[in-house]
Amino acid sequence: MTGELTAALVEMRRDEVLAAVAARIREGEDALGILDDCRQGMTTVGDRFQKGDYYLAELVLSAEIFKEALAILQPYLARSQPSEPLAKVVLATLKGDIHNLGKDIVAILLQAHGFEVHDLGVDVPPTQVLAKVKEIRPRFVGFSALITTAFASMKAAENMLQEAGLRNDIKLMIGGGVTTSLTRDYVGADFQTLDAMEGVKYCLSLTGGK
Amino acid sequence: MTPIERTMAAMRLERPDRVPLVPHLSPEAAAHLVGVTMAQVSNDAQIAQAVFLKVFDDYGGWDSAYGGPITPVQMQAANIYPMKTKIPGRHLPDDYMFQLVEEEVMKPEDYDKMCEMGPERFYYEDYLWRIADFPREQLPRLLEEMLLNWGPWKAELDKRGVQPFVMANSFHPFFKLSVMRSMVPLTRDLYYKPEPVERALKQMTSDLIPRQIAVCKAFGVNSWLLVDERGSGFYYPLSVFERFWWPYTQQIIDAFWSEGITTVFHLDTCWNKNLPYFRKLPKGSTVIELDSTTDIFLAKEILRGHLCIHGDVSASLLSLGTPEEVEAYCRKLIDVVGEGGGFILGTGCAAPPDCRPENFRSMIETGRKYELTRI
Repeated sequence: MTGELTAALVEMRRDEVLAAVAARIREGEDALGILDDCRQGMTTVGDRFQKGDYYLAELVLSAEIFKEALAILQPYLARSQPSEPLAKVVLATLKGDIHNLGKDIVAILLQAHGFEVHDLGVDVPPTQVLAKVKEIRPRFVGFSALITTAFASMKAAENMLQEAGLRNDIKLMIGGGVTTSLTRDYVGADFQTLDAMEGVKYCLSLTGGK
Repeated sequence: MTPIERTMAAMRLERPDRVPLVPHLSPEAAAHLVGVTMAQVSNDAQIAQAVFLKVFDDYGGWDSAYGGPITPVQMQAANIYPMKTKIPGRHLPDDYMFQLVEEEVMKPEDYDKMCEMGPERFYYEDYLWRIADFPREQLPRLLEEMLLNWGPWKAELDKRGVQPFVMANSFHPFFKLSVMRSMVPLTRDLYYKPEPVERALKQMTSDLIPRQIAVCKAFGVNSWLLVDERGSGFYYPLSVFERFWWPYTQQIIDAFWSEGITTVFHLDTCWNKNLPYFRKLPKGSTVIELDSTTDIFLAKEILRGHLCIHGDVSASLLSLGTPEEVEAYCRKLIDVVGEGGGFILGTGCAAPPDCRPENFRSMIETGRKYELTRI
């Protein structure tokens, strides 16, 4: 059963995944164990993506199925012994940019790999990022951009984190179609990518996750 | 050579006196360089035209006009942007760039509805009114204004000795579906229920070809713009590309080429894995326009002597780099991608809305002078 659920997720057989999750819950199985199987599937999907066997389309579809499975498990997970997330991540598309596609993809992939994601949405003022970082003390902060006008907001947010003495506690990631290493240097970010899964791997590499 | 001769020579894969220079100057970038608000250019096509021409004149001009007098709402009215649109001065602050909203507006049942009604009727009788923020009675006026702008625009370009780079303009059918359905739902459809998607793609392709060829003929232009940023290997495996993208692309480009019309193919995101397919297109039929995420040097290796390449000074470089960095990159493009002809120097996608004036000037001056002054 365990391997079947994982394999079904890897092969994006949505109906089979959801049916298996529902059946195992009905049989009284611990929700955390079922969740682990789903996460194992997502790890394999990530590996296949890294090898070039899977594409963004398959990452997105498997993450969507994972999200649906998680929705079934959620009420039961609340009753289980809570598992610690690998780390907290704050994500935002900053002021000047209202695009959400890239950020949403990264958010669901991070969740699927065991991170606690706090998605602040789009057109977010840097002050809101600072407030959230003060509140939850994340390990990672990620900014997404599709247009260059968001670069100045990224820089402003980084400055605020510096001034608040919080910058050294976090890793700052940026991504999105218009970002380059030049943007990373301008913003003062630790990491830049155009590839959502590369961002997830970066977080995993610093948290000992798989 | 005149600017027109130079541009045409590059499209024909010949080696002109120098690499032609055709930056995509969006109204937003032009507004920034001139010092008017995004709200002004996004709501008034006359201002969009004026700022383009002012930048063209102030920076010494270039070889063909890419950009011009059109607003995002007109683009929506003309069935070019099939998405909800946020406009500065109306939905966004005055200094924001206009933005397109990724949302699942088209539903699964709409594939067949589109096929039954025909894509054009479906757009104007149904879909447009799900995304538009203007009343139906304004549609004829919006379209009429676009047509009325063409004459004065063409006259201004004639005075400067240049032509519009493109006139007719459409999203690729696949890209259109991707933004109408939005990316994730379309992907779900492609993998789990592909037949309606294929029916729609066939209809949209058959509809697009005669419609856009007629526009080219009506305006007397021999190049048109086809846009896609969702069919690439960045998003989809080659199995999806080969089934849902490539056959329609070939059909479209062949049809235009048989009428003597060159397709300027604006391809955002990374197409590295797809580049070999483009060698199957008729020689000289297409200008491949890259946004800096595709490896333009790899594109040159693969497409050398077969298709013209246009690009790819990145938005990031124009926004954050130095004039020296811009100059160095332009020189590299001219030397490597321009080698042997078949290259047009341009922006990667479009000049960004916060383009540094000194960087834009560096690109224009390098493009105009470098080859003519080097030993």
